Amino acid sequence: MPVSRRSFLGAISPGTAALSPAFVAARGREAAIAGSAAAPGPRAAASILLDSNENPLGPGPATMEALRGAFVDAGRYPTNARPSMGDLREAIARRVSVKPENVALGAGSWELLRLGVRLYTSSSRPLVTAAPTFEQPEKMAEQLGVGVRRVSVDKDGRLDLDAMARAARWGGLVFLCNPNNPTSTVHPARAVADFVARVRQESPDTAILIDEAYHDYVTDPGYATAVPLALEHPNVFVTRTLSKAYGMAGMRVGYAIGQKRTIESFGRWAITFNQNSLAVAAAVASLDDPGHIEAERARNTEARAFTTRFFKDLGFKVMDSQANFVFVEIGRAARGFKEDCARRGILVGREFPPLHMTHARVSIGTIDEMQKAGVVIAEVLGGSRPVPAGSAHDSRRPR
Amino acid sequence: MPRKEADMSFTRRAFVKAVGIGGASLLAARREAWAGLLRAPGPARPPRPLLLHNNENPLGPGEAVLDSVRRALGTGGPAGRYPWEDVAQLHAAIADRFGVAPENVVTGCGSTQVLREAVQTFTSPAKPLVAGQLTYEECAGYADLIGTPVRAVALDRALKLDLDAMAEAAKGAGLVFLNNPNNPTATLVSGDAVDRFIERVHSTAPDAVVLIDEAYHDYVTDASHRSQVPRAVKDPRLVVARTFSKAHGMAGMRVGYAVGHPETIKRLGWEGPNALNVAGIVAAMASIKDQARLERESARNTEARRFTIDWFAKAGFASTDSQTNFVFVDIGRPAKAFRDACREQGVLVARDFPPLEKSHVRVSIGTLDEMKQATAVFGRVLAVKAAAA
Repeated sequence: MPVSRRSFLGAISPGTAALSPAFVAARGREAAIAGSAAAPGPRAAASILLDSNENPLGPGPATMEALRGAFVDAGRYPTNARPSMGDLREAIARRVSVKPENVALGAGSWELLRLGVRLYTSSSRPLVTAAPTFEQPEKMAEQLGVGVRRVSVDKDGRLDLDAMARAARWGGLVFLCNPNNPTSTVHPARAVADFVARVRQESPDTAILIDEAYHDYVTDPGYATAVPLALEHPNVFVTRTLSKAYGMAGMRVGYAIGQKRTIESFGRWAITFNQNSLAVAAAVASLDDPGHIEAERARNTEARAFTTRFFKDLGFKVMDSQANFVFVEIGRAARGFKEDCARRGILVGREFPPLHMTHARVSIGTIDEMQKAGVVIAEVLGGSRPVPAGSAHDSRRPR
Repeated sequence: MPRKEADMSFTRRAFVKAVGIGGASLLAARREAWAGLLRAPGPARPPRPLLLHNNENPLGPGEAVLDSVRRALGTGGPAGRYPWEDVAQLHAAIADRFGVAPENVVTGCGSTQVLREAVQTFTSPAKPLVAGQLTYEECAGYADLIGTPVRAVALDRALKLDLDAMAEAAKGAGLVFLNNPNNPTATLVSGDAVDRFIERVHSTAPDAVVLIDEAYHDYVTDASHRSQVPRAVKDPRLVVARTFSKAHGMAGMRVGYAVGHPETIKRLGWEGPNALNVAGIVAAMASIKDQARLERESARNTEARRFTIDWFAKAGFASTDSQTNFVFVDIGRPAKAFRDACREQGVLVARDFPPLEKSHVRVSIGTLDEMKQATAVFGRVLAVKAAAA
C-alpha cells in the first residue's frame, strides 16, 4: 500500500500530474510547480504524517460518492447547494438524536471553540482549561486579553476534574476535552455528569464546553457522550468535528450541540456561509453511514494497540489512549525528538507544555505507516531508553 | 547493536500482525479501486427554481477548475489532511497574480471572514465603522455584534456611495467600508474619485483604515474603474478585499482574500487560516491563474445584464447603471410582494434592502437563457402588457 500522502501536484496543471513522486522528491515542489509556489512546508516534504491526529485514509466510499455528485453546486452558496447547510444540520441532528435547533455548524470545531471563549469569557470571567489540553481556546483567550486558569492533568494524564471544578468558580467558561488531546485519556460518563452538576451548583453562570473531537475513537465502555448534559443544562455545550474519524480534516466541518438559545448565539456569531458546498454533501453522506465509522474505529483500535505495544516493548510509558494518537513518555524533549523524526521523513506531534520536556504525541496512521514509522522512532529513541525493556509491562496501570 | 535487534523484531512482529488484519487492510485496499471515481458524472438532479437571489455565477468555476479539485482529492486521503500548509501556496499564487509578495495577502472563509476580521481589528466601541446606508451588510452586522457603533451614510440620488459624506463621517472612525461596485445598488464610483476619497480620509482621519470590497471587480465594464490593489500594498491604512465567489464562480468553495500592506495584513489575519478548506484552496489556485476565463465570464455577464436592463427599461422600470452581475431596479412596489410572486413561478430574487425595500428589487444575472425565462415571469408578475424579448 502506498504511503497515504497528500500532494497538490495534480492540482496545478495536467502536465505536472505525470511527474513521478521520485522526480518531485529529487527536484522539490518548487521545481515541479513553476513560478508561483511557496517553499514546501514540512508536511509536504514528509512521507508519513503522524503530527495532526488525522484519519490517514480520508473519508469512506459513501462520502466520496456524495462528493462526486456535489461538484455541480461548487458555484452555489452552501445555502443553495443540494444538500444545503440546513440539510447538514438535520443530518447531524439525526445522527446525534437531537433537533436541528440544537445544532450549530462551524468551519471545523475550531471556529466553535473560539466562539465559545468569545461568548462566555470576559476580562472579569476567565477561561478555565487544562495543562496540557487542546490549545485553541486558550489561544483565543489570549488574543482577546481574557485571563486563563490552567489546571494540570494528573500523573496519568487525566483531566483533574476536582481541581477544575474548584477553578471554575467565577470562571466564564470551562474547557473540558474528553478524550483529552494530547494526553489521550478519557473520563467516564459518570465523572463528567458529576463535574457538570457540581459546576452548575457552585458556579451557575459558568459555561461548560465539552469537546468530543475524538468521540468516535473511544473504546472504553465507561465513556459516553455528554450530549444529553448539553440538552439538559443551559450554557453547557458539546463540540464535535468531522476532522478525525470521519476523515474530513481538509473539508472543515464541525458542530456544536446545546440548548436552542445557546445554539442561536453561535449561529449569530459564526462566519456567514462557513461550510463548503462540497463538504456539506460529503458530511451528510458520512453522517448517514455509521457503519463506516465503526470500521474506522476498529482500524484505529488495532493500529493503536500495535503502536502502544511498540512503545511499551521499547520501554516507554504510554498513557491509556482512547483517541487516534498516543502520548508517550519518551524521557527527552519533544522538540528534539520531533526534529530527529522529521529529518527521517516522519512528522510527530508538537510540544505540549508543561510536559514538553518528557512527552511526545504520536498520531495513529495505518498499520503500514506505524510499522515504517516505528523503525525510525526506535532508531531515534535508541539512545534514550529510560527503563530496562523487561519492566515495560510492569508500568501498565490497572484498568 | 541492541537497537538493531529491537528494530528487526519489531518489524517482524508488525508484519505478522499487519497480515492478520483483514478489515483494516481491506479498507485501504478498496480505496485503490476508487481512482477516477470523482471524474465520473454525478447523479441527475431534479429541476429547481432559477436562482437569481445571491449574485452567483450561474456557470460555476468550470470543469478545468473542478478537475483540479478532483485530482487533488484523488481517492480521498487528502480530504482527511489539514490544509494549513497549502494556504501558503494559495497566498503565493494570489500574490503572483498581482505581482506582490505573499506577505501582502491574507485569505478567509469567503471574503465575509476577511471583512469581519477587519471590523474586529480596526474598530471598537470608541472607533466606529463608517459604511453606506445600503451596502453589503456583513461589516455593519458584525459591528453590531461586537458593540461597534455604525455611522451609516445615505447614498446619493444615483444610488452611488456618497464619498464626500463618507469622508466627513470618517473623522474619529476606525474603519471605512467602501463596496465598489456597491452591492445591492450595482453602482460604481470612479478610480479617480476613490483616489481622492482615500487621500481625504487619510488627512482628516489619520487613524482610520479604508477597506475597499472589490467583490464584483471582474464584472465592471465602466472604463473609469480602477482597482485599489496597487495602492493598498503600499498604504498601511488601505486594504482591498476580493472573493472567489463571484466571477470565479466559486461561491460554494468559500475562499476570499485581502491584499494590502504587510503590517496591515498581519493584523487583519488574526484568526489564522483555520477556516480554509482543501477543495477551495485547490480550486482558487487553479482559477486565479486563468484570467481568460474571467474575461469570458465578464463578457457573458455583460450581454445578459444588457438584455435584462433593456427588458426592464422597455417595461418602464429604471435600473441603476449596473457594473456587477446583478441589477437594482425601481419596480415601484414592495420587493416582498414581487419576490413572493416570482417564487411561486419558479424564480428566486433577492431579499429586502431597507430603506429601499418598498420600491427596489435586486435581481442577479443568470445566463441569457435564464434571463429570458425570468423576464417572462417578471412580465406576468408586474403585469407588463408588451414585454420585450
